[in-house]
Amino acid sequence: MAEILLKVESLTKRFGGLRAVNDVSFCMQQKEVLGLIGPNGAGKTTLLRLLTGILKPDSGSVIFKGTELVGLKTWNIVNRGVACTFQNMRPFRRLPIIANVMVYCLSPRSMHRGEWVKKVEDKAMDALEFAGISDMALEKASVLSQGDLKRLEIARAVATDPELLLLDEPFGGLSPAETDLMAKSIHRLHKGGRFGRLHSEGPAMIIVEHKLQQLMKIVDRIIVLNFGTILAEGTPEEVVKNPQVIEAYLGKEGD
Amino acid sequence: MDLAILYVKKFYKIIRGEVLVLPSRISVGLFFLVLIGLPLITRDPYIIRIIILTSIFAILAASWDLLSGFTGQMNFGHALFFGVGAYASALLNVHAHIPPWGSVPLGALAAVMAGLIVGIPCLRLKHTYLALTTLAFPIILLGIIFALPDWTGGELGISGLTRFTSSLLGNYYLHIITMLVLCTIMWKITDSNTGLIFHAIREDELAVKTAGINTTRYKLLAFCLSGFFAGIAGGLYAHYMRIAGPSTLEVSMSFTVVIWAIFGGAATIYGPVAAVFILFPLLEFVRFWPEYRTLIFAFIVLFTLLYMPEGLIPWVRDKIEKECPRCKIRNVSTRKTCRICTAGLD
Repeated sequence: MAEILLKVESLTKRFGGLRAVNDVSFCMQQKEVLGLIGPNGAGKTTLLRLLTGILKPDSGSVIFKGTELVGLKTWNIVNRGVACTFQNMRPFRRLPIIANVMVYCLSPRSMHRGEWVKKVEDKAMDALEFAGISDMALEKASVLSQGDLKRLEIARAVATDPELLLLDEPFGGLSPAETDLMAKSIHRLHKGGRFGRLHSEGPAMIIVEHKLQQLMKIVDRIIVLNFGTILAEGTPEEVVKNPQVIEAYLGKEGD
Repeated sequence: MDLAILYVKKFYKIIRGEVLVLPSRISVGLFFLVLIGLPLITRDPYIIRIIILTSIFAILAASWDLLSGFTGQMNFGHALFFGVGAYASALLNVHAHIPPWGSVPLGALAAVMAGLIVGIPCLRLKHTYLALTTLAFPIILLGIIFALPDWTGGELGISGLTRFTSSLLGNYYLHIITMLVLCTIMWKITDSNTGLIFHAIREDELAVKTAGINTTRYKLLAFCLSGFFAGIAGGLYAHYMRIAGPSTLEVSMSFTVVIWAIFGGAATIYGPVAAVFILFPLLEFVRFWPEYRTLIFAFIVLFTLLYMPEGLIPWVRDKIEKECPRCKIRNVSTRKTCRICTAGLD
C-alpha cells in the first residue's frame, strides 16, 4: 500500500446556522486521483477552500505529509505542495498571460524546485506550452475565452509543481472538444515527467466536477458529498450504482 | 584617440537603436538633458527654486504611485511619510547637529518605520476602509506635534535647518540628480519581479496567495519602499526650505499627491513625475492671479480626467505610439510595419 499523502479528520465548517462541511473524514494516497461530486451546495468548493486555508475550519484536522495544515496561511500551504485552481477563474486581467504564470513561478517553492532555470519567463512559457496557450502568451489576460482561462488555471497550477492539486470544476463551461483536451492535459499532468524545463512528479489530485462522464475516465475513486457529509465513497462503478447517490442527484423514484 | 572614436560610435549606435526609435524614449532623454542643461540658459533664482521644489514633489508623487498605483493599497495619507521624513531630519539636524548628508537618509529611515507602523494595522483593510484609515494617520501625527511644542515647535515648526550647500547651482544639481536617480530606481523596481508581484496583488490578492507568495510581506515591503522615497523627499524639502512645518502633514498635501499621480497616469511612475513637472510650475506661474489659482487647477485636472481617464501621459503615449499586434513591441504611430517582427500595424 502506498504512503498516505493527505488525511482529513472530521473537518467541520459552519456558515451561520448552515453546516457547509460537516464532519468529513477521508484519506488519500500518493498519486491518487479523487473525484468529489455532489449536488449544488453540497460543500465541495468549501471543502477545497478549507484544504488550502482560504477558509478556516471550525474543527477537525488536515494532515498533509505528516504536517498539520489547519492554522497555516494559504501561501504557506501552497509552498508545502498543495495547489488549487478556482471555479470562477481569477486571472490578473490587466497583466499579460505570461506574467500571470510568472507570478506563480516566483513563489519560494517553485523558485527552489527548478533553480537551474535562471529565467522565470522560460519556466512560465513551458507551463503555458503544457496548457496549450503559449501562442497567446503576450496578450492581456482579459482577452481570453472561458476555455482558455481554464487552461491558464492549469498552467498556473503546473508552475508551482504541486504534490496535491485541487481542481475546482476544470471542465465547467467548456465545449465537448475542449473538455476532451482538458481531460487529456490533466491525464498527462498526472502521469508526470518533464514538460520542457518544468518537472512534474505526477501530483495526487482532487477534482470537483459535475460532468460525470469525463470524470469517471480520470479518477480512481469518488467521494459523494451531500449537505456537507459524505454520502458514499468508492470506485466510479460502485458509486454510480449506489441508490443513495442516484436519489441525491435525480430524486426518489415515483416522486 | 581611435579607441575614443570607437566608443563614441558604439554609444551613438546604442542611442540610435534603443532611444531614437520611440518618441516616448526621446522625450525622456530630452527631459534629462533639459533639466541638466537648464542653468546654461537661465540662472534666475526663482525658476531654479521652482524646479527644485518640483523635483522634490516629483519624488513624492512617484512614491505614492509605487504604493497605491502599483500595489493598489489606496493611501490617502501619503503626507505622513513626507512629514515624518521632514520632521525627523529637522530634529536630527537642529537638535543633534547632524549634517544634511546624514539627516536626510536617517529621516527616510524614520519614514520607513512610519510605513511599518501604518502598514501593519492596514494589512487587513481594503479599498475605501484602507483609504479612510490611512487618511487618519497624518492627522494623528499633527495632533502629537501640536501637543509637544517644546520639541516640534508646534504651529511654527522647526526652523533654522542647514542647507546641503549654499550655492544655487549646487542645490539645483543635487536635487534634480537625486530626483532622476530615485525615480529611475522606482521605475526599475516596478519593472522587476517584485514589481510584477505588486501588480498582481493589486489585481487579485487571493490569487497571489494561492501562488504561494507571502502577500503580507510584499504589502509591507511596498509600504516601506514608498515610505523611504517619500521620506527622502520630505527630508530634502525640510532642508531646502530650512523649515519643517505642520504644512507638510496637512490633508491637502496628501490629496495633492493623489491628484498629481492620477492626473499623470497611475501605475506608470513616469506619469506622476511628468504631472508634477506640468502642474506645479503651471500653478506657480499663475501666482499673479491668486483668487483663481485653485479653480484653474481644478478645471485642468477635471477636464483631463474626463477625456483621458487613464491619465494624461498614457493617453499621449497611445496617440504617438502603437503596439504591434503580434509581438507587443511599441512603434511610432507613423510606421506601417513593426520595427522588430515586421508584422503590419493596425
